[in-house]
Amino acid sequence: MSMASSLQTHTHIHTNSNIAAMNATTSAADPKSQLPNLPTLHALPPPPTTPPLFINPSDILSEFSHHDPSIARINNGSFGCCPSSVLSAQHHLQLQWLQQPDHFYFNQLHSRFLHSRNIIKDMINADHVDEVSIVDNATTAVAIVLQNIAWGFAEGRFRPGDAAVMLHYAYGAVKKSVQAYVTRAGGYVIEVPLPFPVDSVDEIVNEFRGALERGKQNGRRVRLAVIDHVTSMPSVVIPVKELVRICREEGVDHVFVDAAHGIGCVNVDMKQIGADFYTSNLHKWFFCPPSVAFLYCRRSAESSDLHHPVVSHEYGHGLPVESAWIGTRDYSAQLVVPNALEFVNTFEGGIDGIKKRNHEAVVEMGEMLVKAWGTHLGCPPEMCSSMVMVGLPACLQISSDQDALKLRTYLREKFCVEVPIYYRAPKDGDIGPVTGYARVSHQVYNKVDDYYKFRDAINQLVHSAFTCASLPN
Amino acid sequence: MEHEDPRNGESTHRSSKKPKISSKFISESEIRVEFSHHHPRVARINNGSFGSCPGLVLEAQRQWQLQFLRQPDAFYFNTLRNGIMASRKIIKDLINADHIDEVSLVDNATTAAAIVLQQIGRCFAEGKFQKNDTVLMLHCAFQAVKKSIQAYVTRAGGFVIEVRLPFPVNSEEEIISEFKRSIAKGKSNGRKIRLAIIDHITSMPSVVIPVKELVRICREEGIEQVFVDAAHAIGSVRVDVKEVGADFYVSNLHKWFFCPPSVAFLYCKKSNISSDVHHPVVSHEYGNGLPTESAWIGTRDYSSQLVVPAVLEFVNRFEGGIDGIMKRNHDQVVKMGKMLAESWGTNLGSPLEMCAAMIMVGLPSRLSLNSEEDAVRLRSHLRGCYDVEVPIFYQVSKHLKEGVRDKDGFITGYVRISHQVYNTLEDYEKLRDAINRLVEDGKTCKMLQIE
Repeated sequence: MSMASSLQTHTHIHTNSNIAAMNATTSAADPKSQLPNLPTLHALPPPPTTPPLFINPSDILSEFSHHDPSIARINNGSFGCCPSSVLSAQHHLQLQWLQQPDHFYFNQLHSRFLHSRNIIKDMINADHVDEVSIVDNATTAVAIVLQNIAWGFAEGRFRPGDAAVMLHYAYGAVKKSVQAYVTRAGGYVIEVPLPFPVDSVDEIVNEFRGALERGKQNGRRVRLAVIDHVTSMPSVVIPVKELVRICREEGVDHVFVDAAHGIGCVNVDMKQIGADFYTSNLHKWFFCPPSVAFLYCRRSAESSDLHHPVVSHEYGHGLPVESAWIGTRDYSAQLVVPNALEFVNTFEGGIDGIKKRNHEAVVEMGEMLVKAWGTHLGCPPEMCSSMVMVGLPACLQISSDQDALKLRTYLREKFCVEVPIYYRAPKDGDIGPVTGYARVSHQVYNKVDDYYKFRDAINQLVHSAFTCASLPN
Repeated sequence: MEHEDPRNGESTHRSSKKPKISSKFISESEIRVEFSHHHPRVARINNGSFGSCPGLVLEAQRQWQLQFLRQPDAFYFNTLRNGIMASRKIIKDLINADHIDEVSLVDNATTAAAIVLQQIGRCFAEGKFQKNDTVLMLHCAFQAVKKSIQAYVTRAGGFVIEVRLPFPVNSEEEIISEFKRSIAKGKSNGRKIRLAIIDHITSMPSVVIPVKELVRICREEGIEQVFVDAAHAIGSVRVDVKEVGADFYVSNLHKWFFCPPSVAFLYCKKSNISSDVHHPVVSHEYGNGLPTESAWIGTRDYSSQLVVPAVLEFVNRFEGGIDGIMKRNHDQVVKMGKMLAESWGTNLGSPLEMCAAMIMVGLPSRLSLNSEEDAVRLRSHLRGCYDVEVPIFYQVSKHLKEGVRDKDGFITGYVRISHQVYNTLEDYEKLRDAINRLVEDGKTCKMLQIE
């Protein structure tokens, strides 16, 4: 469906009976798109008595009117976004705390946390709300899981040299965390090299198998595999279900899926994916304010030994409870998950509808750009989520990570385009290769003009024979 | 304007910003406006637990938040680091640290404790410390800190000694001698004491501890690392980290220094150890020093760490700045404490010079507060039925013969009252009358209804 017709869907007015039918039945495409029940906390308004219209483009504009209007904001992947109605709800909670913090602490905090967790549990198809903890972000979730691995080494359950496997394209912060908690504790780290550009999931699966074999050499045990659901840079959707299955076959102790870009970007079904640990940010693609993420821990002997590294009164009462109090702080971002869900459900098809339309729009825009520039996408459309890697013209001569960053800054400052750039080093045998890719995002607030602005900016650079070498340090 | 009062400290390490040009100090009605978001009916005499933040600072915070939401990438690349640096610089000057590298901003004292203790845990795991090497802490250390010690020290094989301080306390000497006694006991059996954790102001019961002296004793006794948990310090007592002389010193800025929830500073004296402390939430900046690590621990709202300049402006609208505020809070809380003790026929928990902006006041024995549950019950009842917010401490009475009595029996419960700039006489009268009412009605804690 093109962007033009998807816009029409946003404005399409359903009759009462259609809406009731949609509420009652599941979509043929995805059984998980069933609209969940509205929250029932006493503090929230009662459900509307007449079925609401779906949100229309001018409502969306107003929900994101706090975004800088002069910027083509095609980088939802980095920091996400939050609509005003959710920001309002957050502000309201902040005021409640400030008004009488003791009362909020004793009488509100716990039940509101539980409510957020229950919503997440339903969305991700977890068995039990005890499996769902709320933390600040995926970075925190990673520290929690890796600290547990470090204890495994320190307490002799793991032998020095036992391995942890991660993708070469694992997020920079995750790599550092692995260094801090695994390497430092005596673990051996194996990185799975992944091709980029990538042509099929098979390439990824084969490399992963190879890495696991290396991991098991010399009698090593592979204690942990960290697998991105959607890599960050370059961004590609990884066949996690398949990789988790391989891990089980090969006797990997624990599988941790880092799905920072999970909810709202890909299908997030815990039982289907089958990992031991799974984390996703909710401020990236689920419209929560900065910042909030969930960490799912499948119930097992190990999961009872996971702890939040900031230890407070609730230590030992289970990770969900520990994470709900890590000292005095502003927890409001973590308590507005119900409001984010309400917002999401003003769109046709809820989060699945949004996801589908984002994906289709970003692919369409990606293809528009590669056609305009004579380049190519970094992976097939079915391996993209709501982000796509678009090759930049080789004549720009992006020849280092530093060039990529400088070009990004230049695009921001001179052209008001916000988009992250990835430097892909040429390999032997490459002829006239594309060395730079833009990671283009699409979220509900984006317009076709955002991408035209980017297209035109690059075209202008090309026509003026611009190269990255001309950029100051 | 400058007094010789040693509590004011030296002007070189006081506020780095000049006060506003207006010679008029903030008025009572302006203060009311700044705190108009507080619940109007509640006698909020518990600033110690969750602190407070004036409207002006909240507005500054909101501007930072909007800036991020408007264009987060530009904020991340161009604004955030400088903003945090500006806050750190102000703190460095306030606390008399030598170098800005010694000052990190973290969420709260709980996080700082995890940072210091995780480092201790690693020392055990990596064989730098031996099994049963010891960590010393106060018995009344904050519960979260005790749990952190359990999580990182006990679990790693360390041994923990608790120093039981007397309460009520009559002099600093009592604390110092008990501390010395515990160290001696700790070192018997040839144990090495690797870390001492000392509160600057204990939480419950609340008493100002002579930290400088205790740190000195620690050094004499060869204790390797000293961590001062000063969660309540900045904005209620003078903070001079060089004078105190600890290796680590943490204080919350949202309790008594008017920052929004939540932000604290962790001071780490430059040394071999300080280069090996890390924020437990590891991100891109791992290995670049704790201040830099803490300034980016993943996408989050850092706005509470950016408003320190706005807080300084607020504080300088008061006569005497933060020193003036501290002095007046102390004088008022002492006055109110005496008023309550006199009305109830009870006592204060410590001498006046061992309190800052909080004071422990004995509750009438007739309330029969005989357990933690009774304390919780009474606190909830005061909140629900009298609109009074005040934490209650239950004193386990071990030595009945030595206990403090009022005319009816042993005093086993204390309220911890706070005074901050927004408090009024009515707040404390409300508490006074509520307790008197309960006593007149013959109520005991166990009889109280909870809302």
